[in-house]
Amino acid sequence: MKMRAVYSVSKRLRHVGHLDLMRLMHRALRRSGIPVAYSSGYNPHILLSLAAPLNVGMAGDREVMDVQLSEVITEKEFVQELNNSLPEGVRILSASKRDDKHPAAMSQLFAAQIRYDFLSPADSILSNVDAFMQRESIMSKRKSKKGMVEYDMRPLIYALSVNDGALYALLSLSSKGTLKPASLIEELSSFAGVPIPQYIAVRTALYADKFIPLEEA
Amino acid sequence: MNNLSGIDERLIESILDKVDRPARYIGGELGAVNRQKNEGDISFAFCFPDTYELAMSHLGMKILYEILNDTPGVICERVCMPWKDMYVLLKENNIPLFSLENRTPLNEFDIVGFTFQYEMNFTNVLAMLELGGVEILSRDRKDNSPIVIAGGPSCCNPEPMSSFIDAFFMGDGERGNIEICECIRSAKQKGFGRRETLLLLSQIQGIYVPEFYSVNYNNDGTIKEVVPNIDSVPQNPRRRIEKSIEDLPFPKKPIVPFTQAVHDRMVLEIMRGCTQGCRFCQAGMLYRPVRERSVESLMEYARAQEKATGYEEISLSSLSSGDYSHIDELVEKLIAEFSKKRVSVSLPSLRLDSQIKGALEEASKVKKSGLTLAPEAGTQRLRDVINKRITNYDIMQRVKEAFEIGYSNIKLYFMMGLPTETYEDLDGIVNIAKCISEYYYSLHKRPKGLRITVSTSTFVPKPFTPFQWAKQDDLETILKKQEYLRNSLRIKGVQYNWHEAELSVLEAAIARGDRNMGRVIYGAYKNGAMLDSWREHFSYDIWKKAFLDNNINMDFYSSREREYDEILPWDIIDIGVSRDYLMRENERAKKAQTTRDCRQGCMGCGLQNIEGVCV
Ligand code: SF4
Repeated sequence: MKMRAVYSVSKRLRHVGHLDLMRLMHRALRRSGIPVAYSSGYNPHILLSLAAPLNVGMAGDREVMDVQLSEVITEKEFVQELNNSLPEGVRILSASKRDDKHPAAMSQLFAAQIRYDFLSPADSILSNVDAFMQRESIMSKRKSKKGMVEYDMRPLIYALSVNDGALYALLSLSSKGTLKPASLIEELSSFAGVPIPQYIAVRTALYADKFIPLEEA
Repeated sequence: MNNLSGIDERLIESILDKVDRPARYIGGELGAVNRQKNEGDISFAFCFPDTYELAMSHLGMKILYEILNDTPGVICERVCMPWKDMYVLLKENNIPLFSLENRTPLNEFDIVGFTFQYEMNFTNVLAMLELGGVEILSRDRKDNSPIVIAGGPSCCNPEPMSSFIDAFFMGDGERGNIEICECIRSAKQKGFGRRETLLLLSQIQGIYVPEFYSVNYNNDGTIKEVVPNIDSVPQNPRRRIEKSIEDLPFPKKPIVPFTQAVHDRMVLEIMRGCTQGCRFCQAGMLYRPVRERSVESLMEYARAQEKATGYEEISLSSLSSGDYSHIDELVEKLIAEFSKKRVSVSLPSLRLDSQIKGALEEASKVKKSGLTLAPEAGTQRLRDVINKRITNYDIMQRVKEAFEIGYSNIKLYFMMGLPTETYEDLDGIVNIAKCISEYYYSLHKRPKGLRITVSTSTFVPKPFTPFQWAKQDDLETILKKQEYLRNSLRIKGVQYNWHEAELSVLEAAIARGDRNMGRVIYGAYKNGAMLDSWREHFSYDIWKKAFLDNNINMDFYSSREREYDEILPWDIIDIGVSRDYLMRENERAKKAQTTRDCRQGCMGCGLQNIEGVCV
């Protein structure tokens, strides 16, 4: 049996990298006594997978992970016991069971919602959001194995809006294409002709196909 | 301890986005104390003068952090040396260096306590004080400044840092640090000023307050005398020695860092002290006598730590784990209990005797790591000089065993520049490597991928060792010897690592420095030296200039042989091991005479004269 859990990573812990977060979850599961399944092989590890790495510097409101269990326990027990062993700043919000054959959260990923909280004035970029989105293509460059390559980021942006001084973006996050939250801000700032403002990015939701919340997929 | 300076959290957040590995500055880890500042009346900043990753691997910090925070009324928080990028940004933005727990500026603590593990961290101490808003020089501190103390092995010669540290604590810190907190509490209650507070502190056994002692020098720069300048302080402050460590608290809930520490695992201190008597080894003298923990209590600590941390590995800590009386029993019990929980036990590599090997194979928990050996010197003669009782035969035996159980990774540690060393001894190092390589290739059945790593460090004569009078090779000689080894160790399967020569020369000068050395350390820091133990930051030129500017001759401290009748800067401290014993050992070294492990019979190192401490 698998448990799909939703968890949050606080702003203070946004500096913890993906591998460190994995290790943290791993150890919390060990401490909790939850009956987890281990991989076989020379160096067995807990069958745990986080749906999508959070970039260093980003917090997460509703992150998703799958944990393979060796015995059946209730969702409530899972949430409670894991929360008891987690350090402040990482919380399990809910959990739901999946059968073993259910596709991994990682493979169901489709999009992510990002909220940018600005630490320095960002009015000039926020007022440019509509004009930015009206363009048919937004050519940008990114590093690849072959050096810098041009790509169009417009199809990777599903929505962009402003609310209460914060910027909300719905960005593609799947095997077909992923837009890094930082790249969007860079491009938007250069479009507005201003330096990149200071901000903290929070991933507020993860979605599967048809924008079904990943925890429900 | 209010947050008087009102640290701007938003500013800190924006800085954290700009620095390398920000997770090391955020605190809030599992096991970290989370208390409001007003919950205690004594605040203690435990300062580690190197990076977070090293601090969090340091056993002493784990021990004292838990003890202090378990002491009613005391709040202990951690402060580490920031990396250079963070140092610059904090300075630029006028943010004082702050603690990990409550982001409290250093200068708002009652006690600022450093641990000195290594002389090349001394500039970091100055950097942390300055960045934390604490006056760098002890004499500039006011009545409301924190009391700055230091402990740890590199305090055994306190003089080089005596201008910056108000009080040094020598020896086992478990009880002493609580007494220090109580002392500061009562000084606070009585409304004592600095000097009265320091006077009160000086009454604690193990404490040395430099300003209560005056040093006079001879014309040739050697010390004429060191005398107390007030009545009520001990003539020779004596190291604090706890008779047993079994009853001393040991961590049950160590902090689990978010970002990987150098040693990211549980640690059990099985034994303190070492009686092997290697003559170059300062730790072997500083931590005498040998004191062991019982298997029962170690198992208890292991259980508690495993529950609290979820760590996957247990390591055993001591100066010579193979000497622990119950090593087999302990390892077997640990494996029996913890392999079920998928916790591996990493072993002292020196002792893989058959029984343990069996147990290990059974649990199939042997990490294909390798064999580590520290013969320290290349020939039997030189090993006799330094009293390292291991023979070429032993080495080859261990190597054979290692190949048999499938290890192909052999690490060999040597010291270069030891007293009486000649090129013959260097050839001895080469020979050992050659023998191992040849032996490996002569085997029909051998593990894949031979890798022999030969590492040489440079001998640094240290205070309170039989070689405390010795000269160190000068820089040129060291470089020549390293060159020689580089050329001679071009052997199949062998890789040679050497230690930066300049760093060792400086370490030697500072380690045996007197009070004048403080001016050099200060000068070097002012000229930009910090994080000196990190290759990317170390600049020998800055240090050379600091010596020159202060008209202090480095060779006088590093490569000068001292006479027995010279008063050495650290003679003011009574470390427990007598000068007489060190002299005897030095004379035996000259004759290449070994000395037995004193567990086979007391060698009269001096501790026997202290009531109830040893034998
Ligand atoms: S007093 Fe004797 S037995 Fe004790 S540490 Fe010294 S030499 Fe060894």
